[in-house]
Amino acid sequence: MSLKRTKNTIKDIQRHAFLNACLLATVVILSVMLFSVTVISVSLKKGMGNMRNRLGADIMLVPKGEREKAENMLLEGSRSNFYFDGAVYEKVQSIDGISDSTSQCFLKSLSADCCSSEVQIVFFDPETDFVVGPWIETEYKQKLSGDAVIVGSDIVSEDGRIKLFGQEYAIASQMARTGTALDSSVYFSTDAKSELLKNAEEKGSFLTEEQKKGDILSSIFINVDGSHTAEQIIDSAHKTIGDIFDVVYPKKLHESLSGSLGKITGVVNVISLSLGILLVAILLIINSIIMKGRKSEIALLRVLGHRKKDLIRKLLSEIGLISLAGALGGSFLGALIVIPFGRYIGKSLDMPYLGPGIASVLLQILLIVGLVILIVFLSSVFFIIHTTNIEPYLALRKEE
Amino acid sequence: MLTAEGISKSYKSGRRKILDSLEISIDEGEFIAVMGESGSGKSTLLAVLAGILDPDLGQVLFEGKDLYKLSDEELSDIHKRRIGYVPQSNFFLKNYTILENIVEPFLADPSKEREEYEQKAKLHLEKLGIGDLADRFPHELSGGELKRAAIARALLTEPVLLIADEPTTGLDSGTGRIILEYLSEYVVSGHAVLVATHDDHVKEYAGRVFDIRKSQTGL
Ligand SMILES: Nc1ncnc2c1ncn2[C@@H]1O[C@H](COP(=O)(O)OP(=O)(O)OP(=O)(O)O)[C@@H](O)[C@H]1O
Ligand SMILES: [Mg+2]
Repeated sequence: MSLKRTKNTIKDIQRHAFLNACLLATVVILSVMLFSVTVISVSLKKGMGNMRNRLGADIMLVPKGEREKAENMLLEGSRSNFYFDGAVYEKVQSIDGISDSTSQCFLKSLSADCCSSEVQIVFFDPETDFVVGPWIETEYKQKLSGDAVIVGSDIVSEDGRIKLFGQEYAIASQMARTGTALDSSVYFSTDAKSELLKNAEEKGSFLTEEQKKGDILSSIFINVDGSHTAEQIIDSAHKTIGDIFDVVYPKKLHESLSGSLGKITGVVNVISLSLGILLVAILLIINSIIMKGRKSEIALLRVLGHRKKDLIRKLLSEIGLISLAGALGGSFLGALIVIPFGRYIGKSLDMPYLGPGIASVLLQILLIVGLVILIVFLSSVFFIIHTTNIEPYLALRKEE
Repeated sequence: MLTAEGISKSYKSGRRKILDSLEISIDEGEFIAVMGESGSGKSTLLAVLAGILDPDLGQVLFEGKDLYKLSDEELSDIHKRRIGYVPQSNFFLKNYTILENIVEPFLADPSKEREEYEQKAKLHLEKLGIGDLADRFPHELSGGELKRAAIARALLTEPVLLIADEPTTGLDSGTGRIILEYLSEYVVSGHAVLVATHDDHVKEYAGRVFDIRKSQTGL
């Protein structure tokens, strides 16, 4: 459409300001709804998919009294400082019926000179690991060793290196985005633990007594082999290391979360489907009112020599322009509402929430604009064709 | 110029035949008054001849072509340039000024052509005595003023045939005269005019009176 045509179309739209405003408002509401619902459900699904990778263990042992913190850590990435003595891991390994086991150690909130916000540090053992590996996004650029690290998706480095407590580390790889505090974590090999703690202390970071000891770990992840149950393993663990631990079941956590996600999306789908049907019904009503109101106008234009085809095109471009504006406006409005509050939405639903990136937001807007224009076209085309087909004289007389 | 043969028309809701095997022909330079009592089918006939109401039977040949067998494009072009139509009631686009209403078919044209038509429209309005009303909106005009604006609209492209449904009904005789004078002048310049009317004044101007009742065989 040329600029002049567009200007004329806008003028025509203004001549029927009230009804067109109703149409616009409906389109905006429809678009806000479509945008919000898709972004939220896609983000929840992504968050869930991403979380499954992180919750890949049958059992997670944490120090006694720390279960809740540990669950929060798994779900929201909030780090905690809780520790076992390093010797516990070897004892656990000896328990019968374990197919995989690995340990991790967390350091919460160390301010480091690399980064504006505090970083969280995770030590894990690349040899035995089965929980960090699955959600590494980029290929390993080099083997993880004492002087190479993996970083969370929020940590950016231009030269592929990161400086922590005076020492530079190469970035071997980057984690997939989780939408949680985990995105500002740095993952070290366990080998680097004592040296890093020493550097941190020298650079003036405050370390607790436990942390100063060096030989510590925060949690042990276990997969149970086919011939044992989790309970049997936990029993044996009690016997081996005593009553010093609480148990978290990451896989079960994931199962129950995806169960509730299923329920939530079910409810959301039903609600948005009924709302969508309602909005389409409103669109149909508005379009029928618009075309009824314009019947004599159309008849008059036909008498004055406008071709049917041109009138249909004219009416469709008015409607197209309104729905384009409404869909764009609605999507942006939806983005303004949903994106800043995304984490809050995830939290209030108690669900992992992985918000979309710019590219996928734009793609979403594009799809919604297309879909909305299609819906509005379909909801109006019948009335438009019907109205332009009435014999002009009869349509005029009806308005007398 | 225009010949209608065997025109029959009845409306869906009423069983009565309004027009029955009606014949009429219009030649260049003719001013014809279609007369008949109220409800006799004058408006219906004019609409059929203007190409905006499909008759049940018969054909309307305009410049040798059957209006109701033309494609939408061809018929629209005839409406745009060859046949001017003034409806019995005053129909105007609400949120357009009188001038915009008159040049509406050319509003989207390049500004040069559009201005030409605006000049023509203003000339018509002036000659009809309402030159100062061009920029008002339809609801701000009286019935007689609107009627004249409708005539200006129908004459904009200098159609060879002007069909006007009761152009003087309900107007004072002075205004009626302005209109009738204007239409007679139009006929002189090689066009044809067909009006439906009860107004006996029209007979003074019309070269021929077409009595709608008497001219139909079946009725
Ligand atoms: N849409 C319609 N449906 C049914 N009957 C109609 C319709 N339009 C007109 N009629 C009937 O057709 C007849 C002719 O109507 P028409 O308007 O042609 O009369 P007219 O001669 O122009 O009358 P007037 O002088 O009052 O304008 C009338 O009896 C009218 O009731
Ligand atoms: Mg009539």
